[in-house]
Amino acid sequence: MVMRKSVVAFFAVLPLVACMALFTQFSFSQDLGQVHEVCSPHEGRCLTIRPPRVPATLNWKMPRTRDGKPDFTGVYAGAGFNHQVGPNDTDTPIIRGFDAKIMPPTKPGGDAILFRPTTGDLKIDDPIALCLPYGFTSQIFSPYAQQWIQAPEHLVIRHEFMNNFSRVIPLDNRPHPKDLEPTWGGHSVGHWEGDTLVIDTVGLKEWWLDNPHPNGSLWHSDAAHVIERVKWVAPRVVSYEVAMDDPKIWTKPWTEQFHMVLHPTWELLEFVCNENDRCSQGNCVESDAQKKR
Amino acid sequence: MTGKFLNLTAASFVVLLFTTTPFIAHHSEAAQFDTTKPVKVSGVVKKVEWMNPHIWFYIDVKDEKGTVTTWGFSGLPPGMAIRKGFTKDTLKVGETVVVQGFRAKDGSNNASGNILTFADGRQVFPGALELGTVPANKP
Repeated sequence: MVMRKSVVAFFAVLPLVACMALFTQFSFSQDLGQVHEVCSPHEGRCLTIRPPRVPATLNWKMPRTRDGKPDFTGVYAGAGFNHQVGPNDTDTPIIRGFDAKIMPPTKPGGDAILFRPTTGDLKIDDPIALCLPYGFTSQIFSPYAQQWIQAPEHLVIRHEFMNNFSRVIPLDNRPHPKDLEPTWGGHSVGHWEGDTLVIDTVGLKEWWLDNPHPNGSLWHSDAAHVIERVKWVAPRVVSYEVAMDDPKIWTKPWTEQFHMVLHPTWELLEFVCNENDRCSQGNCVESDAQKKR
Repeated sequence: MTGKFLNLTAASFVVLLFTTTPFIAHHSEAAQFDTTKPVKVSGVVKKVEWMNPHIWFYIDVKDEKGTVTTWGFSGLPPGMAIRKGFTKDTLKVGETVVVQGFRAKDGSNNASGNILTFADGRQVFPGALELGTVPANKP
């Protein structure tokens, strides 16, 4: 009799438990962080940033490689997106930069390196308009896809923008070479701190810090030292933290955190800037479609 | 009806102009196009160039005398357009559309293609990168 009651009770409760499990799996979602504004340091223009929204799941396991390291292989929307993923696995590309509110005071002379008022010369005002590289750190804010390909000894980060700009990063914590010739991508080495991948970059050419700003652009110097910290925080969501130390500009280092969202349906496309850049400097080239016959 | 439709598109264009200012436009749109010179044309799609760094599409516009001028419009980059659901097949040669944007600084018949309206009223935004983000402009 007792046995029968137990069986009845079990089957009565079973649908409830199943519903609760389903509800927990699919109904709850949470935002990873707060809706906030990032602001340009000049003219104080701001942009609303929405954090990734992720479903609450009970059984998510961090992707790992065969050697047990966190696996970041995949195609992502990085810091150049608002991350609340909508229909068709897409989210919103945005033009943003580092948040001026978190930057410390500049050193004497630092602001002259950091902010370049508009000159009329596109090499200063907007070098990508001439199809020059976006470079690192600007590339962090690329509002295009980026593909991470991870092997035991190297990580390859391949951006769609600009001209499929790529970084090949050894993961053995080797020292940076001495007397580096500054480049747009700099020299990066990686190592693991538990489940966090740490990428250390020096050897950067004095170049754009992020994106265009009202009446000018922001730059880092050739002394910039950048440390990226990358770790999985939720299904499809990676925390991407950037620590910037530029002793020619700021009085102390500063850090800003972003998110990258994995997009399983995305593929990286070819991007050739010179292919059809018809009005690059304000002088348009006539298309065949516009020629008189 | 047509008047109402035009008023709506004009209103949304104005809203777009004043609410989607990002840090600044992308890929030197400021260097290429004059934001003080808005352009609005109605015509037939002649050609679509699905290429980087931005797609271009060409519209044959007929004036009162029947003279046809071909306008060129710069849209989104192909990758970004695809991820927004604007594919190579969205805009078909021969289709009648209305396009709004800003004229090229050199005064040629080229412009940014910020809003594209089909004959049935559907609107797509081939050139407006920042749609969906409304920055809070502060003094």
